[in-house]
Amino acid sequence: MRPTRLPMALALGAALALGACATRPDPADPEAVAEFEQNNDPIEPWNRAMYFVNDGLDTLVIRPAAEAYRIFLPPELRTGIRNALGNLRSPVIFVNDVLQGEPHRAAATAGRFLLNTTLGVGGFFDVATDLGLPGHGEDFGQTLGRWGVREGPYLFLPILGPSNPRDLVGTGVDIATNPLTWVTGGADYDAFTYSRTGLTGLDTREGLIEPLDALRQQSLDPYAALRSAYRQRRNAEINNTAEVSPAARGMGFGAGTGIEGPRR
Amino acid sequence: MTPTPRRLLLLAAAAVAGMPRGAHAQQVDIARATAFIQQTGEQLVSAINATGQSVAQRRDRVAQILRQAVDVEGVGRFILGRWWRQATPDQQQEYLKLFEQVLIHNLSSRFGEYQGVRFSLGRTQARTEEDALVNTVVERPGNPAFGLDWRVSEVSGQPKVVDVIAEGTSLRLTTRSEYSSVITRNGGQVAALLNAMRNQIRQMAAREGA
Repeated sequence: MRPTRLPMALALGAALALGACATRPDPADPEAVAEFEQNNDPIEPWNRAMYFVNDGLDTLVIRPAAEAYRIFLPPELRTGIRNALGNLRSPVIFVNDVLQGEPHRAAATAGRFLLNTTLGVGGFFDVATDLGLPGHGEDFGQTLGRWGVREGPYLFLPILGPSNPRDLVGTGVDIATNPLTWVTGGADYDAFTYSRTGLTGLDTREGLIEPLDALRQQSLDPYAALRSAYRQRRNAEINNTAEVSPAARGMGFGAGTGIEGPRR
Repeated sequence: MTPTPRRLLLLAAAAVAGMPRGAHAQQVDIARATAFIQQTGEQLVSAINATGQSVAQRRDRVAQILRQAVDVEGVGRFILGRWWRQATPDQQQEYLKLFEQVLIHNLSSRFGEYQGVRFSLGRTQARTEEDALVNTVVERPGNPAFGLDWRVSEVSGQPKVVDVIAEGTSLRLTTRSEYSSVITRNGGQVAALLNAMRNQIRQMAAREGA
């Protein structure tokens, strides 16, 4: 961008941001104020616009793609892909286990990686779970949460879904700590990376077909319900009270829907 | 007006609901809460897995069990939260009626799809002075297990379910957020929520009829 355009862009950004701010409730109503602060969604109009955009994208492209994925690939193959994607995430989960000071969980993650990569034929079969070593997910957003970092204001991003500054930073760090990010190997390797990213998206969305359909159908305000569900779910994950198989959160984005899909 | 049993019941419920929560709360007995969830869970599982019954029949039976086990009024009031006091008595009555339909329908349609389901009790913890949290693990053939927690409270001497928490997400917290948002976005009108609920029930009926 040329320097002359910068002030204009800044002014435009500020105007947009101001227009996107949620109106604070009357300070004389303490309950309304408490609720506003609990929602912690100061840019709600902007987020709702992004939700609307995402909803359109999802209806037109993403959900149909996930359905095609479900229709054309047999369940055994999809399970294998899900397992393999989870296995590829193991290094990131391991790093976060360590950063959270959880040696037992770190050992479990490392053991799973070794077992599934070898006996499980590159992670396609989750033999570790059959041997009594179930998996769990972790990401850097959760690690920051454990370190006492507050989540910050709610964010809704197209494609990535619900998030917040803490989880978004976590996503970036997870990408940076993933060894696969730093391996280079020409066109074949690029193809592998694109397939991995694409499959991760398809796998994640496929697992969420029923929960998101139910949300759209049953909720009077899906945006607000998702915001609440995402927060609760992230808190449960940070406290390790709700365990998720690593592949079920394959996006590796701190984002996710906050709802658990049927896992196969 | 002659006080029919139903009206008396509503009056009593309104009186109880009008009292500050906790003033008459009894300590919930953990063993009792666990036994209650065990029993309710077994009833639900056998209703869901009843072979030789149509989907509609199974769903009706599930709804019947849930209606007995869940403190629908208490949950409804909790969810409406601060808007309860802003609602007129008529609105409160209508809200509770609509809420029961929506809640039971949503829960039973979800459970209805759980063919072949099994559940087992996890550890139980008393959470607050008022309620106990009973952990269960739900398994379906070909699916990894998931955690479903039941918050149980004593309501007029009977253990009742006051919240269902699926993998860390509480039904009543999520719904409270949702309903409050509908009211706030419609200028603080409880009537707007009732309208939306009426529409929702109409759509549910249309889907089921189709």
